Amino acid sequence: MKFGRFVLRRLIGIFFVLLGVTLATFTLAHVIPADPIAAALGPNAREAQIEQMRREYGLDRPLPEQYLRYLSHLVRGDLGRSIRTRRPVADDLRDFFPATLELSLAALAIALLLGVPAGVLAAVRKDSLIDHATRLFALLGGSLPIFWLGLVLIGIFYSKLRLMPGPGRIDQFVEPPLRLTGLYVIDSLASGNWAALRSSLAHLVLPAITLGWYSTAVIARMTRATMLEEMGKDYLRTARAKGLAERSVVVGHALRNAWIPTITVIGLAFGSLLSGAVLTETVFGWPGLGRYATAAAVSLDFPAVMGVTLLAATVYPLVNLAVDLIYHYLDPRVRLG
Amino acid sequence: MRRPPLLRNALTVIGLIVLACFVLAALLAPTLSPHDPLATALAENLRPPSAGHPLGTDQLGRDLLSRILHGARLSLTVGLVVVSLAGVAGIVTGLAAGFWGGLLDDVLMRLTDVFLAFPSLILAMAIAAALGPSLFNVMVAIAAVTWPIYARLTRGQVLALRERPFIEAARAIGVPNSRLLGRHLLPNVISPLLVQASFDLGSAILAAAGLSFIGFGAQPPTPEWGVMISEGRNYIATQWWLSTFPALAILLVVTGFNLLGDGLRDLLDPRTRRGWE
Amino acid sequence: MRRSQLYLLALGLLIALIVSSCAPAAPAAPAPAEGGAAPAAAQPAAAAPAEAATTLVYATDTSDLISLDPAVVYEFTGVLIAENIYDTLVKFEGDNLSELKPSLAEHWEIAADGDMWKITFHLDPDARFASGNPVTAADVVYSFSRVLDLNKSPAFLLADIPQLKKENMTAVDERTVELKIPNTASPQALLSILTFSVGGIVEKAVVEQHVEGDDLGSTWLRDHSAGSAPYVLERWEPEQQVVLTANPNYWGPAPKLSQIIIRHIAESSNQQFALESGDIDVARNLTPEQVEALSNNPDITIYRANTLLLIYVGMNVKQEPLDKPQVREAIRWAIDYKAIVDNLLRGGAKVHQTIIPEGLFGAVDNNPFQKDVEKAKALLAEAGVPDGFSIEMLIPTGPAPGGTDWSNIAAAIQSDLAAVGIQVTIKQTTQAELLNIYRAQSGQLVLILWGPDFPDPDGNVGPFTDYSQRVIAFRNNWDNPELAARARAAALEADPTKRSALYAELIETVLHEGPYAVLYQPGVVFGLRKNVQGLLWNPMGTIEFANVSK
Repeated sequence: MKFGRFVLRRLIGIFFVLLGVTLATFTLAHVIPADPIAAALGPNAREAQIEQMRREYGLDRPLPEQYLRYLSHLVRGDLGRSIRTRRPVADDLRDFFPATLELSLAALAIALLLGVPAGVLAAVRKDSLIDHATRLFALLGGSLPIFWLGLVLIGIFYSKLRLMPGPGRIDQFVEPPLRLTGLYVIDSLASGNWAALRSSLAHLVLPAITLGWYSTAVIARMTRATMLEEMGKDYLRTARAKGLAERSVVVGHALRNAWIPTITVIGLAFGSLLSGAVLTETVFGWPGLGRYATAAAVSLDFPAVMGVTLLAATVYPLVNLAVDLIYHYLDPRVRLG
Repeated sequence: MRRPPLLRNALTVIGLIVLACFVLAALLAPTLSPHDPLATALAENLRPPSAGHPLGTDQLGRDLLSRILHGARLSLTVGLVVVSLAGVAGIVTGLAAGFWGGLLDDVLMRLTDVFLAFPSLILAMAIAAALGPSLFNVMVAIAAVTWPIYARLTRGQVLALRERPFIEAARAIGVPNSRLLGRHLLPNVISPLLVQASFDLGSAILAAAGLSFIGFGAQPPTPEWGVMISEGRNYIATQWWLSTFPALAILLVVTGFNLLGDGLRDLLDPRTRRGWE
Repeated sequence: MRRSQLYLLALGLLIALIVSSCAPAAPAAPAPAEGGAAPAAAQPAAAAPAEAATTLVYATDTSDLISLDPAVVYEFTGVLIAENIYDTLVKFEGDNLSELKPSLAEHWEIAADGDMWKITFHLDPDARFASGNPVTAADVVYSFSRVLDLNKSPAFLLADIPQLKKENMTAVDERTVELKIPNTASPQALLSILTFSVGGIVEKAVVEQHVEGDDLGSTWLRDHSAGSAPYVLERWEPEQQVVLTANPNYWGPAPKLSQIIIRHIAESSNQQFALESGDIDVARNLTPEQVEALSNNPDITIYRANTLLLIYVGMNVKQEPLDKPQVREAIRWAIDYKAIVDNLLRGGAKVHQTIIPEGLFGAVDNNPFQKDVEKAKALLAEAGVPDGFSIEMLIPTGPAPGGTDWSNIAAAIQSDLAAVGIQVTIKQTTQAELLNIYRAQSGQLVLILWGPDFPDPDGNVGPFTDYSQRVIAFRNNWDNPELAARARAAALEADPTKRSALYAELIETVLHEGPYAVLYQPGVVFGLRKNVQGLLWNPMGTIEFANVSK
């Protein structure tokens, strides 16, 4: 299938999916028997206040009209106003998304930097201690409740050993770097703010390990499997027969082909990262989307819930699309569509 | 005598043993528990493991071992309910989509796309929030994010099998569609679904625990493992066992299901063997 | 060759960077901070050791913070911060809630004026905003008008209770303000309301420069300040921290600490760790077990203070058999209050069974109920339900004030009531959902809390007795017009002796006839680093940070 057509088809698909997503979340939000407005104003609020706020948020209109208004605002980039924070949801998302993105990227980086070498080693030294250890870790990695892991890491490395900094993105006495992207690491690099860089990196370590735990296991498994498959292939037998050193065989040839399928895992990992972020951010007090979504869900703040799910439902398929394109670019034998 | 195929892999055996213990614990919880999991005894709270309380006591003096055993019951229920709900919904959808194809197929597949577009925990959280905090609502929520996979798998299998000679033959004889679906297609579709179900039994337990931890699922004093980890979170530095034992329970059980899933996959479809050769 | 080396290099670099960043850039202990515990003295970080000595880091859960505009602020964290950036006309000092002290108003008079009360405030001529401009009567009138116009959560405190209207506010001259309220309202109530953040005075000239559309400057004031108090708002990073710095133009004595950081740490365990390591100076949300553990720590002081909150069980009078007063009384005699307070709350609360909390005018120390199974059963028999009955109790999720989870209190009540034959099913929902059900008068038993909106007994007695206020009595379907009339009379009674007698009678009536079982009055407990001095918690929920030193 031609490249352009493929991308177009996928994008159209994503569009319809998003439409479905808005309908789904909208329906969900209004299935709630409870009234988020009254809840947001607290137990002491008077009736007149509640009515006024309800009018402000357009909640006194019939449902289909509310949905259409929502859609018409959506195309203009207006995601509505959060009932809990009273701010435009778009502003809230802009504030909190970079934190989650940074955490997810850090987690992914750890997963790749630890998972890939582990998988390669395990494959190369199949059935050795390293192999068994890696397989064990990969097995447990997918079964461990990461919220517990986060608690333990904080307890050990922050409280008992004082090796790592505590909750938050950056040390309280260090001013956050000038905001370019919202990712502290990138912004500090860009503005040459070394104190901020060191502080934000230090604060990233424990949460990224917690969040990346599951992905590390998956990537290690995947790498090992694909390496094993590659290493058994005929062309490598030829290479070995030609007298090439095993190391050169492994790294030069097998790895080069084996890590491509790993890329598809990255796409899938992203979804699990966004989910895991909810738990990780709660434990580490990380001011990101996961926490925002949780607070929104608890307070029945459906504009915010819709905003977050829309954002996630946009990012995730786009990431998968990007992954598919990269995969095709790297290995043109893979058919698109 | 040769061992049956499933038991040939040592890891799968380990998984089965773990799961057998888990199911036994769940079924026999009331008999095995030394104490009432809900009985508070404030004078004896926060005790470390001892003879009377093999896993210690929590902040209200409740015996941790009894709570974990009863929690096994809850977790088993969660896994089974989620997989059943998701499985039924998914199989029905997948069969319909694959068998009749056309517009129905497109619509149903777009529907699964919508569900798959959400990161699972966020969607589950939104559903659980809408329905209210309870373990049952959490089960519904998790089933809602799990069913698309079953639909996809079923549809894929149906598409692969639809044109096979034995189906053609049955159709030629005049077998009605319902029998075609039920008697001929369904049994052959099951294998990948069983593999998926094993993994999902574990991941459902993990997801439910996560949702309970942040406050959406089971509520205290229910001895659900996620709730117990949440209740123990303020004691992690001093009475670490409150959160750790439930976490280990989750770890063991989910690992057991993963091992079972791996074993089933190797057994049922050797072509897709990956990883554990 | 190339690729694996690249991997290793990247890995090595990352590890090196992380390891180097682990070297503490911030001091581990605030006390010897001047000694420069930080080895990494890069330029911005050099400020850290010095900063720490003159900064108070106060950790709490700030997720309820919506805005710092005094006309909008109504939640705990917002009020705490707003009262440190905005001055009010009058104030209470420390934890004293009966004696009004001058703040922006040097002195004031209350006089009758036809069918109204006229309250005249004379502003202190020295009072200045952080900008350097004097505080004028025009600013006062502007601030109060904003509250009424914006009509956000705290607006009812001015509009409904004292019935203040815009046309009744006048700036007589540069430094004199006149407020007129109908004589059916209480001037004392108005004065105590004005001590609250809703009475915060903003600088009209500054706010008017930042008005967007018809928001009256609210968007800008959300995270900027235009006040006259000892601190100004430096920045607010949502879900992270709020930073206050000392007001260089403060018109009173300079605050002792140059910077206050209100840091968002939601998990109690993280607060404990941070307090122990000295990263924070004050921890607000510790559990009783954590408090016990920390009381042996030589670096930490435990500070306990009062609140005006009451935790109670509401009984829906229209729900049979709660319509029978003996049944309600039986419930009150079945609960083991002492066990809850001693075992679950462990010093975090006091038994208190009357509707005026300790610390407010008119409070009494009368707690007659304790667990008496025989008495409770006898009352049930008298009411015609000797074998008990089944009922549902609605409770919120999460922690209750006092230091334990709502579910633990509910479990204790459930077990107490079971002993007299009442089978309670606990239904737990989010606070949002609970309020909706409660407001719709659809609860059966509801376990919840109440805090007065202003430090006057009418802030509790009104809601608990007056159905027409559509608050607590309404939610429990208790319509007693005679009692409501008595409550209104007591609110307006000027003579303190008569007033206190009226309230004593009211309390007694509600104690035995009302649909409430008041359980306890929670305190607050803070964990402080040993060197923190002068931190005083006002039961209305505020702290004057200007008086705190290290």
